[in-house]
Amino acid sequence: MPKRKLDPLPAAAFQILLSLADTELHGYAIMRQVEEQTAGRVRLGPGTLYSSLQSLAEEGFIEEVSPGTELGSGEERRRYYRLTSQGHKIARFEAERLADVLRVARAKKILRGEYV
Amino acid sequence: MSNPWETIFGWLFRLYPVSFREKFGDEAIQLLRDRVRDEPGFFLRARLYGDLLFDACTGLPQAWRNARAAKIRPLPVSDRDGVPSFGVLEEQPLRPGTILLSSTMSCAVLVAFGALLSHPTQLASIVGNRKVSPVVSVMERLSNPSPTGGGNPTTDATTIATEGTLAKTSADALMRVDPAERNRVIEAVAVDLVDHYPDHEKAVAASEMLLRHEKQGEYNAIVDGPALAAHLTEDVRRSTKDPHLVVEYSRNTFPQGDRSASPAMLEQYRAALLQENCTIESAGMVSKTVAYLKLNSFPDRAVCGPRILADIDSFHSSRAIIFDLRDNAGGYPDMVADVAARLFDRPVPWYNPKAIPSAGILSPATGSNLGKQRIYIVVSSQTLSAAEQFTYNLKMLKRATVVGETTGGAAHVGAFHRIDDHFGMGIPAGQIENPYHMPDWDGIGVSPDIKVRASDALEAAKKLAAGP
Repeated sequence: MPKRKLDPLPAAAFQILLSLADTELHGYAIMRQVEEQTAGRVRLGPGTLYSSLQSLAEEGFIEEVSPGTELGSGEERRRYYRLTSQGHKIARFEAERLADVLRVARAKKILRGEYV
Repeated sequence: MSNPWETIFGWLFRLYPVSFREKFGDEAIQLLRDRVRDEPGFFLRARLYGDLLFDACTGLPQAWRNARAAKIRPLPVSDRDGVPSFGVLEEQPLRPGTILLSSTMSCAVLVAFGALLSHPTQLASIVGNRKVSPVVSVMERLSNPSPTGGGNPTTDATTIATEGTLAKTSADALMRVDPAERNRVIEAVAVDLVDHYPDHEKAVAASEMLLRHEKQGEYNAIVDGPALAAHLTEDVRRSTKDPHLVVEYSRNTFPQGDRSASPAMLEQYRAALLQENCTIESAGMVSKTVAYLKLNSFPDRAVCGPRILADIDSFHSSRAIIFDLRDNAGGYPDMVADVAARLFDRPVPWYNPKAIPSAGILSPATGSNLGKQRIYIVVSSQTLSAAEQFTYNLKMLKRATVVGETTGGAAHVGAFHRIDDHFGMGIPAGQIENPYHMPDWDGIGVSPDIKVRASDALEAAKKLAAGP
Protein backbone atom coordinates (compact mmCIF):
# COMPACT_ATOMS: atom_id res chain seq x y z
CA MET A 1 0.00 0.00 0.00
CA PRO A 2 1.54 3.32 -1.04
CA LYS A 3 2.45 5.73 1.68
CA ARG A 4 0.07 8.63 2.02
CA LYS A 5 1.39 12.10 1.36
CA LEU A 6 0.01 13.40 4.65
CA ASP A 7 1.24 10.64 6.91
CA PRO A 8 2.39 12.00 9.29
CA LEU A 9 0.23 15.05 9.05
CA PRO A 10 2.36 18.17 8.58
CA ALA A 11 1.83 21.00 11.04
CA ALA A 12 0.60 23.36 8.34
CA ALA A 13 -1.97 20.83 7.15
CA PHE A 14 -3.17 20.20 10.69
CA GLN A 15 -3.55 23.92 11.28
CA ILE A 16 -5.55 24.21 8.08
CA LEU A 17 -7.83 21.37 9.20
CA LEU A 18 -8.33 23.12 12.51
CA SER A 19 -9.11 26.39 10.79
CA LEU A 20 -11.85 24.69 8.79
CA ALA A 21 -13.28 22.77 11.73
CA ASP A 22 -16.31 24.97 12.19
CA THR A 23 -16.64 27.01 9.04
CA GLU A 24 -15.98 27.28 5.33
CA LEU A 25 -13.10 29.55 4.43
CA HIS A 26 -11.18 30.69 1.37
CA GLY A 27 -7.40 30.71 1.16
CA TYR A 28 -6.70 34.12 2.60
CA ALA A 29 -9.17 33.56 5.41
CA ILE A 30 -7.54 30.25 6.20
CA MET A 31 -4.18 31.99 6.37
CA ARG A 32 -5.56 34.58 8.75
CA GLN A 33 -7.33 31.98 10.85
CA VAL A 34 -4.15 29.94 11.16
CA GLU A 35 -2.22 33.03 12.08
CA GLU A 36 -4.80 33.82 14.72
CA GLN A 37 -5.05 30.35 16.17
CA THR A 38 -1.26 30.13 16.45
CA ALA A 39 -0.95 33.59 17.97
CA GLY A 40 0.92 34.83 14.91
CA ARG A 41 3.56 32.12 14.99
CA VAL A 42 2.45 30.56 11.72
CA ARG A 43 1.75 32.63 8.64
CA LEU A 44 1.17 30.43 5.67
CA GLY A 45 2.56 31.79 2.44
CA PRO A 46 0.71 31.15 -0.79
CA GLY A 47 2.97 28.29 -1.86
CA THR A 48 2.66 26.40 1.40
CA LEU A 49 -1.00 27.21 1.82
CA TYR A 50 -2.20 26.10 -1.59
CA SER A 51 0.13 23.10 -1.76
CA SER A 52 -1.31 21.96 1.55
CA LEU A 53 -4.84 22.62 0.40
CA GLN A 54 -4.11 20.61 -2.73
CA SER A 55 -2.76 17.69 -0.72
CA LEU A 56 -5.63 17.77 1.73
CA ALA A 57 -8.18 17.88 -1.06
CA GLU A 58 -6.51 15.00 -2.90
CA GLU A 59 -6.55 12.92 0.29
CA GLY A 60 -10.21 13.71 0.76
CA PHE A 61 -9.75 15.61 4.02
CA ILE A 62 -11.22 18.81 2.69
CA GLU A 63 -13.37 19.68 -0.27
CA GLU A 64 -14.15 22.72 -2.28
CA VAL A 65 -17.50 24.26 -1.66
CA SER A 66 -19.75 24.06 -4.67
CA PRO A 67 -20.16 27.30 -6.64
CA GLY A 68 -23.73 27.71 -5.48
CA THR A 69 -22.61 28.32 -1.96
CA GLU A 70 -19.89 30.81 -2.83
CA LEU A 71 -20.17 34.34 -1.71
CA GLY A 72 -21.35 37.10 -3.93
CA SER A 73 -19.70 39.19 -6.60
CA GLY A 74 -16.10 40.18 -6.17
CA GLU A 75 -15.28 36.76 -4.78
CA GLU A 76 -14.97 34.98 -8.12
CA ARG A 77 -11.35 34.07 -7.72
CA ARG A 78 -11.71 32.56 -4.29
CA ARG A 79 -12.30 28.91 -3.65
CA TYR A 80 -13.92 28.03 -0.40
CA TYR A 81 -13.04 24.89 1.44
CA ARG A 82 -14.66 22.87 4.14
CA LEU A 83 -13.70 19.87 6.18
CA THR A 84 -14.94 16.43 5.17
CA SER A 85 -15.87 13.73 7.63
CA GLN A 86 -12.58 12.09 6.82
CA GLY A 87 -10.87 15.38 7.53
CA HIS A 88 -12.63 15.61 10.86
CA LYS A 89 -11.48 12.14 11.69
CA ILE A 90 -7.84 12.71 10.75
CA ALA A 91 -7.80 16.05 12.62
CA ARG A 92 -9.18 14.32 15.69
CA PHE A 93 -6.57 11.59 15.47
CA GLU A 94 -3.84 14.16 15.17
CA ALA A 95 -5.23 16.15 18.10
CA GLU A 96 -5.40 12.97 20.20
CA ARG A 97 -1.84 12.14 19.24
CA LEU A 98 -0.71 15.57 20.33
CA ALA A 99 -2.80 15.20 23.51
CA ASP A 100 -0.95 11.97 24.23
CA VAL A 101 2.29 13.81 23.70
CA LEU A 102 1.11 16.47 26.11
CA ARG A 103 0.17 13.89 28.70
CA VAL A 104 3.61 12.43 28.50
CA ALA A 105 5.12 15.88 28.69
CA ARG A 106 3.08 16.56 31.83
CA ALA A 107 4.00 13.20 33.29
CA LYS A 108 7.59 14.04 32.68
CA LYS A 109 6.92 17.44 34.25
CA ILE A 110 8.01 19.16 31.12
CA LEU A 111 4.66 20.96 31.10
CA ARG A 112 2.88 22.23 34.16
CA GLY A 113 -0.46 23.74 35.11
CA GLU A 114 -3.65 23.92 33.05
CA TYR A 115 -2.11 25.41 30.01
CA VAL A 116 -3.55 22.71 27.76
CA MET B 1 1.40 42.87 -12.69
CA SER B 2 2.18 46.47 -11.90
CA ASN B 3 3.34 46.39 -8.27
CA PRO B 4 6.89 45.37 -7.43
CA TRP B 5 5.78 42.66 -5.01
CA GLU B 6 3.56 41.18 -7.70
CA THR B 7 6.50 41.15 -10.09
CA ILE B 8 8.70 39.46 -7.52
CA PHE B 9 6.03 36.94 -6.71
CA GLY B 10 5.39 36.39 -10.40
CA TRP B 11 9.01 35.36 -10.87
CA LEU B 12 8.94 33.15 -7.80
CA PHE B 13 5.68 31.61 -8.88
CA ARG B 14 7.21 30.53 -12.20
CA LEU B 15 9.20 28.01 -10.19
CA TYR B 16 6.03 26.12 -9.31
CA PRO B 17 4.58 23.33 -11.47
CA VAL B 18 2.36 24.40 -14.33
CA SER B 19 -0.66 22.57 -12.98
CA PHE B 20 -0.24 24.27 -9.63
CA ARG B 21 0.09 27.71 -11.20
CA GLU B 22 -2.94 27.25 -13.35
CA LYS B 23 -5.10 26.04 -10.51
CA PHE B 24 -4.04 28.39 -7.76
CA GLY B 25 -2.34 31.28 -9.54
CA ASP B 26 -5.24 33.70 -9.39
CA GLU B 27 -6.02 32.89 -5.78
CA ALA B 28 -2.39 33.26 -4.77
CA ILE B 29 -2.23 36.71 -6.34
CA GLN B 30 -5.45 37.62 -4.68
CA LEU B 31 -4.07 36.42 -1.35
CA LEU B 32 -1.04 38.62 -1.74
CA ARG B 33 -3.15 41.61 -2.66
CA ASP B 34 -5.16 41.04 0.45
CA ARG B 35 -2.03 40.90 2.55
CA VAL B 36 -0.62 44.03 0.96
CA ARG B 37 -3.88 45.77 1.63
CA ASP B 38 -4.04 44.56 5.22
CA GLU B 39 -0.37 44.89 6.13
CA PRO B 40 0.68 48.46 5.44
CA GLY B 41 3.85 50.04 6.70
CA PHE B 42 7.49 49.28 6.30
CA PHE B 43 7.76 46.59 8.94
CA LEU B 44 4.76 44.61 7.82
CA ARG B 45 5.72 44.96 4.19
CA ALA B 46 9.24 43.74 4.95
CA ARG B 47 7.75 40.82 6.84
CA LEU B 48 5.62 40.03 3.80
CA TYR B 49 8.67 39.88 1.56
CA GLY B 50 10.42 37.65 4.09
CA ASP B 51 7.38 35.40 4.23
CA LEU B 52 7.39 35.11 0.46
CA LEU B 53 11.00 33.99 0.40
CA PHE B 54 10.46 31.54 3.26
CA ASP B 55 7.34 30.27 1.56
CA ALA B 56 9.26 29.64 -1.62
CA CYS B 57 11.65 27.43 0.34
CA THR B 58 8.94 25.39 2.01
CA GLY B 59 6.08 25.49 -0.46
CA LEU B 60 8.04 24.73 -3.61
CA PRO B 61 9.16 21.22 -2.64
CA GLN B 62 5.68 20.35 -1.51
CA ALA B 63 4.12 21.64 -4.73
CA TRP B 64 6.55 19.59 -6.83
CA ARG B 65 5.95 16.51 -4.67
CA ASN B 66 2.25 16.91 -5.31
CA ALA B 67 2.80 17.29 -9.04
CA ARG B 68 5.06 14.27 -9.19
CA ALA B 69 2.68 12.16 -7.15
CA ALA B 70 -0.09 13.05 -9.58
CA LYS B 71 2.06 11.92 -12.50
CA ILE B 72 3.04 8.56 -11.07
CA ARG B 73 -0.43 7.74 -9.90
CA PRO B 74 -1.22 4.29 -11.30
CA LEU B 75 -2.92 4.43 -14.66
CA PRO B 76 -6.16 2.57 -15.17
CA VAL B 77 -5.52 -1.02 -16.06
CA SER B 78 -6.56 -2.02 -19.52
CA ASP B 79 -9.65 -4.14 -19.70
CA ARG B 80 -7.90 -6.43 -22.12
CA ASP B 81 -4.97 -8.22 -20.65
CA GLY B 82 -1.92 -8.28 -22.83
CA VAL B 83 -3.06 -5.40 -24.95
CA PRO B 84 -0.64 -2.48 -24.72
CA SER B 85 -2.18 0.73 -23.52
CA PHE B 86 -0.86 4.22 -23.25
CA GLY B 87 -1.49 6.97 -20.77
CA VAL B 88 -0.74 10.65 -20.79
CA LEU B 89 1.27 11.84 -17.82
CA GLU B 90 0.89 15.56 -18.48
CA GLU B 91 -2.72 16.48 -18.71
CA GLN B 92 -2.09 20.12 -19.45
CA PRO B 93 -2.27 21.13 -23.11
CA LEU B 94 0.83 22.63 -24.65
CA ARG B 95 0.96 26.36 -24.35
CA PRO B 96 1.16 28.50 -27.51
CA GLY B 97 4.58 29.76 -26.44
CA THR B 98 5.86 26.22 -26.10
CA ILE B 99 4.50 25.27 -29.51
CA LEU B 100 6.03 28.38 -31.08
CA LEU B 101 9.41 27.79 -29.45
CA SER B 102 9.55 24.11 -30.37
CA SER B 103 8.43 24.82 -33.94
CA THR B 104 11.09 27.48 -34.33
CA MET B 105 13.78 25.20 -32.94
CA SER B 106 12.65 22.32 -35.14
CA CYS B 107 12.80 24.52 -38.23
CA ALA B 108 16.24 25.78 -37.22
CA VAL B 109 17.51 22.24 -36.73
CA LEU B 110 16.00 21.19 -40.06
CA VAL B 111 17.60 24.10 -41.89
CA ALA B 112 20.95 23.46 -40.23
CA PHE B 113 20.76 19.78 -41.10
CA GLY B 114 19.90 20.58 -44.70
CA ALA B 115 22.77 23.04 -44.94
CA LEU B 116 25.09 20.46 -43.46
CA LEU B 117 24.03 17.89 -46.00
CA SER B 118 24.34 20.17 -48.99
CA HIS B 119 27.41 22.17 -48.12
CA PRO B 120 30.32 20.02 -47.05
CA THR B 121 30.02 17.19 -49.54
CA GLN B 122 29.19 17.12 -53.16
CA LEU B 123 28.65 14.12 -55.34
CA ALA B 124 31.02 14.30 -58.22
CA SER B 125 29.74 13.84 -61.70
CA ILE B 126 30.44 10.50 -63.24
CA VAL B 127 28.84 11.22 -66.54
CA GLY B 128 31.08 13.82 -67.96
CA ASN B 129 31.15 14.26 -71.67
CA ARG B 130 34.87 14.33 -72.15
CA LYS B 131 35.77 12.47 -75.26
CA VAL B 132 38.88 10.43 -74.73
CA SER B 133 40.23 7.41 -76.43
CA PRO B 134 38.33 4.26 -75.41
CA VAL B 135 41.70 2.73 -74.65
CA VAL B 136 42.51 5.53 -72.24
CA SER B 137 39.13 5.39 -70.66
CA VAL B 138 39.16 1.61 -70.27
CA MET B 139 42.62 1.78 -68.77
CA GLU B 140 41.43 4.35 -66.31
CA ARG B 141 38.46 2.24 -65.35
CA LEU B 142 40.48 -0.92 -65.09
CA SER B 143 42.75 0.78 -62.64
CA ASN B 144 39.89 2.09 -60.55
CA PRO B 145 37.24 0.19 -58.64
CA SER B 146 33.77 -0.08 -60.04
CA PRO B 147 31.47 2.73 -58.95
CA THR B 148 28.81 0.15 -58.12
CA GLY B 149 31.12 -2.14 -56.25
CA GLY B 150 30.02 -5.73 -56.52
CA GLY B 151 33.48 -7.03 -55.84
CA ASN B 152 34.64 -6.73 -59.41
CA PRO B 153 37.68 -4.55 -59.89
CA THR B 154 37.60 -4.58 -63.65
CA THR B 155 34.45 -3.09 -64.87
CA ASP B 156 33.91 0.26 -66.41
CA ALA B 157 35.34 1.08 -69.75
CA THR B 158 34.70 4.69 -70.46
CA THR B 159 35.31 8.11 -69.08
CA ILE B 160 35.72 7.90 -65.40
CA ALA B 161 34.97 10.47 -62.81
CA THR B 162 37.95 12.70 -62.66
CA GLU B 163 36.87 13.78 -59.23
CA GLY B 164 36.58 11.42 -56.30
CA THR B 165 33.15 10.04 -55.59
CA LEU B 166 32.74 12.36 -52.68
CA ALA B 167 34.45 15.69 -52.39
CA LYS B 168 35.46 16.53 -48.88
CA THR B 169 34.56 19.71 -47.16
CA SER B 170 38.04 21.04 -47.41
CA ALA B 171 37.89 20.55 -51.15
CA ASP B 172 35.35 23.32 -51.48
CA ALA B 173 38.10 25.87 -51.29
CA LEU B 174 39.94 24.13 -54.11
CA MET B 175 36.92 24.42 -56.38
CA ARG B 176 36.58 28.16 -56.03
CA VAL B 177 37.11 30.34 -59.07
CA ASP B 178 38.11 33.96 -58.92
CA PRO B 179 36.57 36.61 -61.20
CA ALA B 180 39.54 36.59 -63.55
CA GLU B 181 39.36 32.82 -64.11
CA ARG B 182 35.59 33.00 -64.45
CA ASN B 183 35.79 35.58 -67.20
CA ARG B 184 38.60 33.71 -68.92
CA VAL B 185 36.55 30.49 -68.96
CA ILE B 186 33.44 32.22 -70.27
CA GLU B 187 35.36 33.84 -73.09
CA ALA B 188 37.12 30.58 -73.95
CA VAL B 189 33.80 28.76 -74.13
CA ALA B 190 32.49 31.46 -76.46
CA VAL B 191 35.53 31.12 -78.70
CA ASP B 192 35.44 27.30 -78.73
CA LEU B 193 31.80 27.33 -79.72
CA VAL B 194 32.47 29.52 -82.73
CA ASP B 195 35.56 27.55 -83.70
CA HIS B 196 34.23 24.01 -83.35
CA TYR B 197 30.47 23.81 -83.28
CA PRO B 198 29.16 22.53 -86.62
CA ASP B 199 26.25 24.97 -86.84
CA HIS B 200 28.09 28.25 -87.13
CA GLU B 201 25.00 30.43 -86.87
CA LYS B 202 23.92 28.84 -83.61
CA ALA B 203 27.47 28.97 -82.32
CA VAL B 204 27.74 32.70 -82.89
CA ALA B 205 24.38 33.30 -81.23
CA ALA B 206 25.36 31.26 -78.20
CA SER B 207 28.75 32.90 -78.01
CA GLU B 208 27.26 36.39 -78.10
CA MET B 209 24.75 35.39 -75.48
CA LEU B 210 27.49 34.22 -73.12
CA LEU B 211 29.52 37.39 -73.54
CA ARG B 212 26.45 39.53 -73.07
CA HIS B 213 25.57 37.75 -69.85
CA GLU B 214 29.12 38.12 -68.65
CA LYS B 215 29.06 41.84 -69.39
CA GLN B 216 25.79 42.21 -67.53
CA GLY B 217 27.32 40.55 -64.51
CA GLU B 218 24.99 37.56 -64.52
CA TYR B 219 27.83 35.21 -63.63
CA ASN B 220 29.35 37.38 -60.94
CA ALA B 221 27.68 35.51 -58.10
CA ILE B 222 29.18 32.18 -59.17
CA VAL B 223 32.28 31.45 -57.17
CA ASP B 224 32.89 27.74 -57.57
CA GLY B 225 33.90 25.70 -60.57
CA PRO B 226 31.12 23.08 -60.74
CA ALA B 227 28.44 25.75 -60.49
CA LEU B 228 30.04 27.81 -63.23
CA ALA B 229 30.33 24.77 -65.50
CA ALA B 230 26.72 23.82 -64.85
CA HIS B 231 25.51 27.35 -65.49
CA LEU B 232 27.41 27.69 -68.73
CA THR B 233 26.24 24.25 -69.87
CA GLU B 234 22.65 25.23 -69.25
CA ASP B 235 23.06 28.50 -71.13
CA VAL B 236 24.73 27.05 -74.23
CA ARG B 237 22.27 24.17 -74.38
CA ARG B 238 19.34 26.54 -74.13
CA SER B 239 20.75 28.79 -76.82
CA THR B 240 21.67 26.04 -79.28
CA LYS B 241 18.94 23.59 -78.25
CA ASP B 242 21.66 20.95 -78.35
CA PRO B 243 21.80 18.72 -75.26
CA HIS B 244 25.18 17.30 -76.28
CA LEU B 245 27.09 20.48 -75.52
CA VAL B 246 28.70 20.50 -72.13
CA VAL B 247 31.11 22.61 -70.11
CA GLU B 248 32.99 20.48 -67.62
CA TYR B 249 34.85 21.20 -64.45
CA SER B 250 37.34 18.85 -62.83
CA ARG B 251 39.03 19.30 -59.49
CA ASN B 252 41.92 17.34 -60.90
CA THR B 253 43.96 18.79 -63.70
CA PHE B 254 42.91 17.93 -67.22
CA PRO B 255 45.85 16.39 -69.06
CA GLN B 256 47.64 18.41 -71.67
CA GLY B 257 47.83 17.52 -75.32
CA ASP B 258 46.60 14.45 -77.16
CA ARG B 259 44.83 11.92 -75.00
CA SER B 260 44.83 9.18 -77.61
CA ALA B 261 46.54 6.01 -76.59
CA SER B 262 50.21 5.55 -77.09
CA PRO B 263 51.46 2.18 -78.41
CA ALA B 264 52.70 1.30 -74.96
CA MET B 265 49.36 2.12 -73.40
CA LEU B 266 47.60 0.18 -76.12
CA GLU B 267 49.66 -2.88 -75.35
CA GLN B 268 49.06 -2.47 -71.64
CA TYR B 269 45.36 -2.12 -72.32
CA ARG B 270 45.22 -5.32 -74.34
CA ALA B 271 47.08 -7.23 -71.68
CA ALA B 272 44.79 -5.91 -68.98
CA LEU B 273 41.69 -6.81 -70.97
CA LEU B 274 42.82 -10.36 -71.53
CA GLN B 275 43.78 -10.70 -67.91
CA GLU B 276 40.34 -9.49 -66.95
CA ASN B 277 38.63 -11.90 -69.33
CA CYS B 278 37.58 -9.03 -71.57
CA THR B 279 35.46 -7.71 -68.67
CA ILE B 280 33.18 -10.72 -68.97
CA GLU B 281 32.23 -11.30 -65.39
CA SER B 282 29.92 -14.20 -66.04
CA ALA B 283 28.63 -16.09 -69.06
CA GLY B 284 26.54 -19.23 -69.25
CA MET B 285 23.14 -20.74 -68.83
CA VAL B 286 21.26 -19.87 -65.66
CA SER B 287 18.55 -22.40 -66.52
CA LYS B 288 17.83 -24.80 -69.33
CA THR B 289 16.41 -22.04 -71.45
CA VAL B 290 17.88 -18.78 -70.14
CA ALA B 291 21.38 -17.56 -70.94
CA TYR B 292 23.21 -14.91 -68.99
CA LEU B 293 26.08 -12.59 -69.85
CA LYS B 294 27.44 -10.06 -67.40
CA LEU B 295 29.57 -7.76 -69.45
CA ASN B 296 31.28 -4.88 -67.72
CA SER B 297 32.41 -3.01 -70.81
CA PHE B 298 32.27 -3.13 -74.59
CA PRO B 299 36.01 -3.50 -75.14
CA ASP B 300 38.10 -3.24 -78.28
CA ARG B 301 36.79 -5.86 -80.68
CA ALA B 302 40.26 -6.38 -82.08
CA VAL B 303 41.22 -7.79 -78.68
CA CYS B 304 38.03 -9.18 -77.23
CA GLY B 305 35.62 -9.47 -80.14
CA PRO B 306 36.12 -13.19 -80.73
CA ARG B 307 35.88 -14.11 -77.08
CA ILE B 308 32.72 -12.09 -76.36
CA LEU B 309 30.99 -13.05 -79.57
CA ALA B 310 31.83 -16.71 -79.02
CA ASP B 311 30.13 -16.56 -75.66
CA ILE B 312 27.09 -14.97 -77.20
CA ASP B 313 26.97 -17.46 -80.05
CA SER B 314 27.02 -20.27 -77.51
CA PHE B 315 23.59 -19.13 -76.39
CA HIS B 316 21.96 -20.41 -79.59
CA SER B 317 20.02 -23.10 -77.76
CA SER B 318 18.48 -20.68 -75.29
CA ARG B 319 15.06 -19.14 -75.50
CA ALA B 320 16.04 -15.96 -73.71
CA ILE B 321 19.28 -14.04 -73.09
CA ILE B 322 19.91 -11.70 -70.19
CA PHE B 323 22.56 -9.03 -70.74
CA ASP B 324 23.64 -7.73 -67.36
CA LEU B 325 25.07 -4.25 -67.93
CA ARG B 326 24.66 -2.88 -64.42
CA ASP B 327 28.39 -2.29 -64.09
CA ASN B 328 29.05 -1.56 -67.73
CA ALA B 329 30.24 2.01 -68.20
CA GLY B 330 30.88 1.92 -71.89
CA GLY B 331 33.53 1.16 -74.44
CA TYR B 332 33.68 0.85 -78.20
CA PRO B 333 30.64 1.52 -80.42
CA ASP B 334 32.00 -1.09 -82.86
CA MET B 335 31.81 -3.75 -80.19
CA VAL B 336 28.28 -2.62 -79.37
CA ALA B 337 27.31 -2.99 -83.00
CA ASP B 338 28.93 -6.42 -83.25
CA VAL B 339 27.02 -7.72 -80.27
CA ALA B 340 23.76 -6.18 -81.41
CA ALA B 341 24.16 -7.57 -84.92
CA ARG B 342 23.99 -11.07 -83.43
CA LEU B 343 20.52 -10.32 -82.13
CA PHE B 344 18.76 -9.40 -85.37
CA ASP B 345 17.78 -11.38 -88.38
CA ARG B 346 17.12 -8.35 -90.55
CA PRO B 347 18.72 -4.94 -91.14
CA VAL B 348 17.58 -2.33 -88.66
CA PRO B 349 18.13 1.41 -88.13
CA TRP B 350 21.06 2.07 -85.85
CA TYR B 351 21.99 5.12 -83.83
CA ASN B 352 25.58 5.90 -83.00
CA PRO B 353 26.02 9.54 -81.95
CA LYS B 354 29.78 9.26 -82.27
CA ALA B 355 29.59 8.30 -85.93
CA ILE B 356 29.14 10.58 -88.89
CA PRO B 357 26.41 10.19 -89.88
CA SER B 358 24.97 9.19 -86.57
CA ALA B 359 21.98 7.43 -88.11
CA GLY B 360 22.92 4.27 -89.94
CA ILE B 361 21.82 0.74 -90.71
CA LEU B 362 22.85 -2.30 -88.72
CA SER B 363 23.04 -5.49 -90.73
CA PRO B 364 22.51 -8.84 -89.03
CA ALA B 365 25.58 -10.92 -88.38
CA THR B 366 26.11 -13.68 -90.89
CA GLY B 367 25.19 -17.07 -89.55
CA SER B 368 23.75 -15.84 -86.27
CA ASN B 369 20.70 -17.66 -85.07
CA LEU B 370 19.88 -15.49 -82.07
CA GLY B 371 17.38 -13.29 -83.88
CA LYS B 372 14.36 -14.87 -82.24
CA GLN B 373 15.54 -15.14 -78.65
CA ARG B 374 13.90 -12.88 -76.14
CA ILE B 375 16.42 -10.33 -74.89
CA TYR B 376 16.46 -8.78 -71.42
CA ILE B 377 18.91 -6.02 -70.50
CA VAL B 378 19.58 -5.44 -66.83
CA VAL B 379 20.72 -1.90 -66.12
CA SER B 380 21.53 0.45 -63.28
CA SER B 381 22.32 4.10 -62.82
CA GLN B 382 25.94 3.11 -63.40
CA THR B 383 25.20 1.83 -66.89
CA LEU B 384 26.87 4.44 -69.11
CA SER B 385 27.88 5.51 -72.57
CA ALA B 386 28.32 2.59 -74.99
CA ALA B 387 26.24 0.36 -72.72
CA GLU B 388 23.51 2.95 -72.91
CA GLN B 389 23.83 3.03 -76.69
CA PHE B 390 23.28 -0.72 -76.78
CA THR B 391 20.32 -0.47 -74.43
CA TYR B 392 18.82 2.54 -76.15
CA ASN B 393 18.91 1.03 -79.63
CA LEU B 394 17.49 -2.30 -78.59
CA LYS B 395 14.76 -0.57 -76.64
CA MET B 396 13.87 1.75 -79.51
CA LEU B 397 13.76 -1.24 -81.84
CA LYS B 398 11.59 -3.11 -79.31
CA ARG B 399 14.09 -5.91 -79.42
CA ALA B 400 14.76 -6.04 -75.69
CA THR B 401 13.04 -5.56 -72.38
CA VAL B 402 15.03 -3.23 -70.16
CA VAL B 403 14.91 -4.09 -66.45
CA GLY B 404 16.35 -2.04 -63.60
CA GLU B 405 17.05 1.63 -63.03
CA THR B 406 17.30 4.57 -65.38
CA THR B 407 20.79 4.56 -66.79
CA GLY B 408 23.39 7.26 -66.14
CA GLY B 409 22.77 9.40 -69.20
CA ALA B 410 26.29 9.74 -70.59
CA ALA B 411 26.43 9.87 -74.36
CA HIS B 412 30.00 11.15 -74.59
CA VAL B 413 29.23 12.65 -77.92
CA GLY B 414 31.32 15.76 -77.94
CA ALA B 415 34.98 16.07 -78.69
CA PHE B 416 36.78 17.37 -75.64
CA HIS B 417 38.33 20.81 -75.83
CA ARG B 418 40.57 21.74 -72.97
CA ILE B 419 40.14 25.30 -71.69
CA ASP B 420 42.51 25.25 -68.75
CA ASP B 421 43.62 22.87 -66.03
CA HIS B 422 40.13 22.52 -64.59
CA PHE B 423 37.71 23.50 -67.33
CA GLY B 424 36.97 21.86 -70.64
CA MET B 425 34.19 21.66 -73.13
CA GLY B 426 32.49 18.86 -75.05
CA ILE B 427 31.37 19.88 -78.53
CA PRO B 428 29.78 17.46 -81.03
CA ALA B 429 31.88 17.10 -84.14
CA GLY B 430 28.93 17.01 -86.49
CA GLN B 431 25.20 17.28 -86.74
CA ILE B 432 23.56 14.45 -84.84
CA GLU B 433 20.65 12.75 -86.50
CA ASN B 434 18.57 10.30 -84.55
CA PRO B 435 16.79 7.66 -86.66
CA TYR B 436 14.18 7.22 -83.98
CA HIS B 437 13.42 10.93 -83.89
CA MET B 438 13.50 10.80 -80.15
CA PRO B 439 15.88 12.36 -77.64
CA ASP B 440 18.78 10.06 -76.93
CA TRP B 441 20.03 9.20 -73.47
CA ASP B 442 22.40 12.10 -73.01
CA GLY B 443 21.71 13.68 -69.66
CA ILE B 444 18.49 11.76 -69.10
CA GLY B 445 19.48 8.11 -69.37
CA VAL B 446 17.51 5.20 -70.77
CA SER B 447 14.43 4.52 -68.75
CA PRO B 448 13.70 0.87 -68.04
CA ASP B 449 10.61 -0.99 -69.18
CA ILE B 450 10.49 -2.72 -65.82
CA LYS B 451 11.58 -0.36 -63.10
CA VAL B 452 13.15 -2.10 -60.12
CA ARG B 453 16.17 -1.47 -57.95
CA ALA B 454 19.44 -2.46 -59.55
CA SER B 455 20.03 -4.99 -56.81
CA ASP B 456 16.72 -6.68 -57.61
CA ALA B 457 16.86 -6.28 -61.37
CA LEU B 458 18.58 -9.55 -62.20
CA GLU B 459 16.09 -11.64 -60.29
CA ALA B 460 13.26 -9.74 -61.95
CA ALA B 461 14.78 -10.39 -65.36
CA LYS B 462 15.23 -14.08 -64.59
CA LYS B 463 11.57 -14.39 -63.69
CA LEU B 464 10.56 -12.65 -66.88
CA ALA B 465 12.93 -14.77 -68.96
CA ALA B 466 11.66 -17.97 -67.41
CA GLY B 467 8.10 -17.11 -68.34
CA PRO B 468 6.31 -18.26 -71.46
